[in-house]
Amino acid sequence: MSAVGSPLFSEVRLARQLLRGSDRRERWRIALTGAGAALATGFALAAVTLASVEGVYTVSVLHGLLSDPGTRSGVIAGLLLLLVPVLAFLGQCTRIGAVHRDRRLAGLRLAGATPWQVRRVAALETGLACLAGSVVATTGSVVVLLRLWSGPNATTWAGIALVAVGVPVLGAAAGALALRRVVTSPLGRVRRVRPAAGRGPGLLFLAALTLLAGVAPFAVTGGHRFGNRPHWETPLTVFCLVLALGTGAVWLAGATSRGVGRLIAGRARSAAPLIAAERLRDDPWAPARTHAALLVVTVAATAFLCIRHTFLAELRSDEQTGADVAYYTTGLDLTGAALLVALAIALSGLAVGTAESLTTRRRTLAAQVAAGVPRTVLSRALLLETALPLAPALLLAGAGGMVVGAWYATLTGTAALPWTALLVAPAVYASCLLAAATALPLLGRSVSPGELRYA
Amino acid sequence: MTNGETRGPLLAATGLVKAHGRTQALRGADVELRAGEILAVTGPSGSGKSTLLHCLAGIVRPDAGSVTYDQQRLDRLPEKRRSELRRTDFGVVFQFGQLIPELTALDNVALPLMLSGADRAEARARAGEWLERFEASGQAERRPGEMSGGQAQRAALARALVTGPKVVFADEPTGALDSLASEQLMAALAQTARESGTAVLLVTHDAQVAAYADREVEVRDGAVAALEVTA
Amino acid sequence: MSTRHILLGLLASSPSHGYDLKRRHDERFPQARPLAYGQVYTTLQRLVRDGLAEVDGTASDGGPERTAYRVTDEGARELTRWAAEIAPPAPFVTNEIFAKLVVSILTGADADAYLLAQRAAHMRRMRELTAVKTAPGTDLTTVLSADYALTHLDADLRWMTTTAARLTTLTAEVCAT
Repeated sequence: MSAVGSPLFSEVRLARQLLRGSDRRERWRIALTGAGAALATGFALAAVTLASVEGVYTVSVLHGLLSDPGTRSGVIAGLLLLLVPVLAFLGQCTRIGAVHRDRRLAGLRLAGATPWQVRRVAALETGLACLAGSVVATTGSVVVLLRLWSGPNATTWAGIALVAVGVPVLGAAAGALALRRVVTSPLGRVRRVRPAAGRGPGLLFLAALTLLAGVAPFAVTGGHRFGNRPHWETPLTVFCLVLALGTGAVWLAGATSRGVGRLIAGRARSAAPLIAAERLRDDPWAPARTHAALLVVTVAATAFLCIRHTFLAELRSDEQTGADVAYYTTGLDLTGAALLVALAIALSGLAVGTAESLTTRRRTLAAQVAAGVPRTVLSRALLLETALPLAPALLLAGAGGMVVGAWYATLTGTAALPWTALLVAPAVYASCLLAAATALPLLGRSVSPGELRYA
Repeated sequence: MTNGETRGPLLAATGLVKAHGRTQALRGADVELRAGEILAVTGPSGSGKSTLLHCLAGIVRPDAGSVTYDQQRLDRLPEKRRSELRRTDFGVVFQFGQLIPELTALDNVALPLMLSGADRAEARARAGEWLERFEASGQAERRPGEMSGGQAQRAALARALVTGPKVVFADEPTGALDSLASEQLMAALAQTARESGTAVLLVTHDAQVAAYADREVEVRDGAVAALEVTA
Repeated sequence: MSTRHILLGLLASSPSHGYDLKRRHDERFPQARPLAYGQVYTTLQRLVRDGLAEVDGTASDGGPERTAYRVTDEGARELTRWAAEIAPPAPFVTNEIFAKLVVSILTGADADAYLLAQRAAHMRRMRELTAVKTAPGTDLTTVLSADYALTHLDADLRWMTTTAARLTTLTAEVCAT
């Protein structure tokens, strides 16, 4: 590939050509990646902006919650926590059509492209979509910011610029990283039908967690001087505990999936659980990757309900004025709303992941239907693929959340835990099944006999 | 094989028309399959052979024309009923893709029996017999990805035959195999079909594979021409 | 098809007389054309003349005199040389079907119909050979001979298919010269 002019332009041209000839699934990938990037940029921008505010600054929204540096740091922490499901969602989006893109890039390599050229194309595929999302989010955020805040300072603008540029760059890096195996050994991708299963809950997710864990202490403590704010350790500890327990639940879930699969496969009486269990046994870390964000959200939500209960009990027992109670309850409600948003994003990630695993297996599924396997059996197997590994994992996550809640309760001396917190895990489970079920209409389209025709 | 001739063809299609998007795959194809006979369908690639097979097996509804199986109109049946028919009366062998990659060969072959309600242990036992018959019992606990192409296709054949179907539809079954594996597969298919009186519709572009059939028809530009009729 | 080397090889495995040799040949190569007695005897004489075989003895057990033959050391060496020699792959392009086709075009006959009829005959023979091959209890020698014939018939068929597709161009070329 001899380049006329700058080498980057030939890759951009190639990326554009690839896009023009792409099918519906590619467009979905780009749209979803853009949306995810916009969300990530939005949350990060909000966090950065809030972090750059110094001292007390009266803001009319949200019951004055943003005015006080102490509570502001809580909001920042919440925004950062919201980044976890968004980044997991982005991870899902980069995996859409991964097998197909792998083969495409392998083809480029075999046609003579150098490894760096192919890396650039891969980076562009993801990076440009993230750039689009980032631009949209930044424009919107800046407009809102200028209406609310009359004097944003230099730090704010620096932070905004950093986020606006950082998100697409990270996206591009993730895109190039995800396809690193193709770059080094194109034949490996071209020959094998299934890519080798990755171990562990996904590089992107782990990177996101480490990033957050590193940044969070600074964000939480950043808005004030030392000693001003009483017990900042508690939110931070809660934050870290939630993350740690979430990661632990993910890892444990992945490690036990193979055992669960083997157990169910041995005892399965009918076709659908057999298929689902064997699939689980074959690739135990795939569901862990898809469910990672959900598990973290479940831990957080269960912990939140316990903490809220304890907090409110503590509030009512103290002598506070009515206005103060409203202040705190708004904060709590805001956190609850944020958790619901996080759940929604995580559920979308699950839906995307389920749809993607369906379309990757199109030809096999079409052949099964052609051989006479009823569609209901395949639908049930698909739902079971989500349901089987998720049940023990959510149980663990719920238990983890209760542990955090209990720890917080012991801090303040109240013993009671709300029974509603126990409902979180089953409620999340039910909504996950619903989210997975949204992929079922796609099953009908995937098994059309047209899929049988291509080698 | 003789009672098939007195009762009429087991599977017959007349005037089949089918388009895929803008390409016309079949333009008025007629074909007949008698009970117990092996029919080869040959023709250049892209001529509509696979589409013909899909219409005859009830996998796809033709745009026009009729498909009659055992005196009932196959193309008029709802998908659920056609799917059931494909499970009990038909067997299919494709070039690739029909084994579930996560299940072992034994479970794959036992699957049609399990779907029809058989007990899992019994289904596995019968599947084991079929695998042994095709000399693939050493692969019983392996997954399709761990077997050679020939072994996987023999397992696929076992799966197609395990329910005792009346018709087996084979679409380029040897397409991805080397000559020795092709030989073994075709020998297994032909021998079992003759022993059990199963009819076989064999789509292939390989003359040596088509030579296993009793009769051959050619599909050219979406229409069927009989090349040869032998007793 | 070097008949003399085949007979020499059979002699090398165990000496026999002419009648027995013919029987052994037909048994071992069932798909080849059966040998005539005259041809066997002539070949044996020539082998003796060339020093590759010699008379082993005569036996007459009540019937006509039967001369047994066996292979000489020279004959054994000649066999080894011949068996290791590579058969030249198709040095001459002698194609009867192609000749008939060109003649059909030149005389204005229906070349397409000829190709179709020839193809049908090939397929018929291939079906027969396949039936022989897959009959239960067939030994491997028969299978291998049948496979050889099948592969070559298949090659002919492929050639006929591509030629049928190029018939119009061929007709133009043949008629122009």
